[in-house]
This record gives sequence, structure tokens and C-alpha cells, in this order.
Amino acid sequence: MIVWRGILAVAGFQLRRLLAPQRVIVVALAAAFPAAVMLAVRRIAGDIDRNFAVVLLYALVPEMLCMLGLLVTMCPVVADELERGTWQHVAVRPGGRWSLLLGTFLAAVTWTATVALFALALALVAAGLSDAGRLAAVFAALVVVSCVGRAALFALPAVIVPKRALVASVAAAFVVEYLAGFLPAVINQLTVSLRLRSLLVHWMGWERALPTELQLLVDTQPVWVQIMAVVTLATVMLVAAGLILARRQFPPAEEA
Amino acid sequence: MIEAAGLVKHFRSADGTVVKAVDGVSFVVGRGEMVGLLGANGVGKTTTMRLLATLLQPTAGTARIDGCDVTTDPLGVRRRLGYLSATTGVPDRLTPREVLQSFGRLHGFDQAALAGRVPALLDALGLGDCAERPCGRLSTGQRQRVSLGRALVHDPPALVLDEPTSGLDVVGSRDLLDLLERLRWEGRSILISTHRLHEIERRCDRFLIIHAGRIVAAGTREEMIAAPGGLEGAFFAAVEPGAHP
Repeated sequence: MIVWRGILAVAGFQLRRLLAPQRVIVVALAAAFPAAVMLAVRRIAGDIDRNFAVVLLYALVPEMLCMLGLLVTMCPVVADELERGTWQHVAVRPGGRWSLLLGTFLAAVTWTATVALFALALALVAAGLSDAGRLAAVFAALVVVSCVGRAALFALPAVIVPKRALVASVAAAFVVEYLAGFLPAVINQLTVSLRLRSLLVHWMGWERALPTELQLLVDTQPVWVQIMAVVTLATVMLVAAGLILARRQFPPAEEA
Repeated sequence: MIEAAGLVKHFRSADGTVVKAVDGVSFVVGRGEMVGLLGANGVGKTTTMRLLATLLQPTAGTARIDGCDVTTDPLGVRRRLGYLSATTGVPDRLTPREVLQSFGRLHGFDQAALAGRVPALLDALGLGDCAERPCGRLSTGQRQRVSLGRALVHDPPALVLDEPTSGLDVVGSRDLLDLLERLRWEGRSILISTHRLHEIERRCDRFLIIHAGRIVAAGTREEMIAAPGGLEGAFFAAVEPGAHP
């Protein structure tokens, strides 16, 4: 109960930090970007091919927007706490280290998912697709899966190298998600991007329509396997980050 | 009660050499006692305090807070200790009330418990008038009092305060030290470090002088003040080169 109250307290505190006016303006502009791209494509090409629009929406919202949103929330927030001295005041509370990690994770997921869902709604309106309701449900689920998996992924570099959290997280995003994730090998089973692509293909009913070479880039197992894989990955990464933090020491600057 | 017994902390520096930041420190701070830990920069004051606060793990030796061992029962220590570091680390966007509520929740207090505790603490700290103002718009002294409130929110029997008057003006320092004296009279054990010897000369019951990671002198207020040059004289006599082999 103590840890749960602590997690909620930290999440509330981090969300208030994220609601700074300047940040809200930047985020509103970012949320409008996918809709702007959709409008631009419609203006240039006239009616958008539905499958093309879905792929574009996938690239813009669950991939780009969620990835960028989490990059600028999860890792800088954790790293800031570690670097600016806020951490030590939390670390001397019972369950404080886990509360800060999981509360920040919860805040980053809530904030980024909210922004992405807002962006999704705008983009769907801008795209003018026929079955927008069903697409909204599919993409909302992809946004949540993307945020949960990637926020946990970014927690690790933030606690391992807090001084270079953003750089390390960008590297992790490219190496893990966009390099390993696209290798047709066992390693891509450990990535969120494989699960997201597989869920998209499954929910859009594209399994048979995909060319053979692209079928190598998705996993054909059922939806629950994909979701459980992301939940397991996120749990493992958060536990690893939490254990690192639990063992972390806070030496004074002169001895560090 | 705060007890340290043969506390040792070594760090490995970038070139591989071992730095003995704390080298066999032992002392006791009893209930209702305020003890000053004095020393120059980099002699082990903050490291000692962080060992007590479970922010660092001792290389050897141990310490207990109200009977809980920092190595074997860190959670017990965290429930019983209020810690204030030299950096306030108070979030700019939160108000003092929100800071105290957030940290109260970290100790498991529910809304009902916080509704009674937080206003009383704000009043005791003299923060009642600015309780709803974001901390980023408070003075240094007010932020330091918020930081102290954060250390007191769970009503701990022991306090470890690392340079609590750092950055405060004369009035701010006096108010904070008056408050600490009240806390001492309530029966709390207080270990306080500072560079400003004159401020705590007449406030602490005892003094510990630390140098090169070791306690090189210790004594009651009367003993220290009676030394040639008073507390400052006793301090320099203890830390000057040649004073200790």
C-alpha cells in the first residue's frame, strides 16, 4: 500500500511538472503534426489509398510520436531527478526508489499516450477515412502498447547512464527498436517494434496480403502472445531498472 | 538515537586509487540531543551523513537509527529518519503544501492523515502564508524550510541535517536554528553539519570535529567553548597540519 501511494504521488507530481505551459504548447504542435501530414498528402494526391494512410498513420503516431514523446519525458525526467538532487530526498523514504521509477513510468505513459491519442483523433479526421471508428480503436491499442513497452525500454538507459540519458535512449531506440527489430532473427522477438507491426498486420487482416519478404518482419502468433510479450519485456526492463536503482549509491560530488 | 560504530566508507577514484572518505567514525547522538558535526569541505561530513541516511552503504562498520541498522534494516531507518541535504531539491512547480503531501504519501499516509499533519507542519515552519505559492517563487529561506518540512513530514525521532543553513541570510539561519532547537526539546536526536561555527556554537549540546575521515576531536559545548579561541579555536587546533599524525 505504501509503495502504491508513493507511485501515485510521484505520478501526480511528474504530471504537474509535464504540464508546464511551454511544454504544453510544444506538445500541441507535435500532436498536430500527423494531421498536417495527412492533410498535405490529401492535398497533393487527392484521395488517400486506405492502406497507405494506415501505414502512414502507424509510422507517425505509435512509432514516431510515441517514441519522441517518451524520449522527452521518461529519460530526462528520471535522469533529472538523479542529477539535480531531488532523488536523494525520495531515496531516503521507504519504497521511495521504486515509487519514483514506477511513478515516473506511469506519468510518462499517461502523458505520452494522451498526446498520441489526441494526435490520432486529429489525424483520422484529417485523413477522412471511411471506417475511422475501427481504426481509432486499433491505433489506440497500438499507442498504449507502444507507450508501455518503450517507456520501460527508456527507463534502463536513464538509470544506467543518467548523465547521457537522452543520447543513450536515442541509441537504444535505433539499435534495439529499429535495427534489431527489423532483423529477421530471434533477436527481434525481444523488441516492441516487432510486436507492434505484428498487431497492426493482424488487426488490419493483412497476413495473407503481405509479400513473402515482409512476412519475415512480422510474427504470426495470436494477439494475446504479442501483448504478453510486450508486458513481459516491459516488466523485465522495469525490474532491471528498479534493481539498479535500489542498489545505487549517492556519493557526494567530491568523491563521485 | 543515532549511533555510528566504526563506520568506514571507501571510494575507488577514476585512477584506481582507494579514497578513504570515512575511516572508522564512531559516535552517539542521544534523545533530545543536538550534536554538531564540524569539518572542512571533503573531509567526510556529507559521506557520514549519507551513510546514516542509507544513501550509501558502509564499506565496514555500522550505524543505527532508533535501533534500526542501516545495513540490515534500511527500510526501518528510512521510516525513522528525517534527512536534509545541502541541496534543497525542492520542485519549482509544486507548492509547499503539495511537496509535503507528496512526501507524506511516500510514507504511506492517507488523505485523512495528511489533512491533519500538513497544515500543522506548515504553520510550525512558518510557511502558512505561502503554502499555495509555487516553490520556484519562494525565497531561499522558505525553500529550505520546505525542505525541512519534507524531512519532518513523517514525524521522525532522528534528524540528520547536512548544512541546513547553507545559502540562508542571518535572519533565515536564526529562524531555522530556533526551529531545530524546538525539535530538539521535543526529544528528537539531531545531527547537524555546518561550516558556520558561530551559528551553532551555543545551540548544540556536543560537537564532533571530523578531519580526513576521522573524528579528531569531540566534546561538550562547555568544553569546546572553554578552549582557547572558543569553538573556532578548538576546531583549528584539531584540524591544522601536525595536530594529528
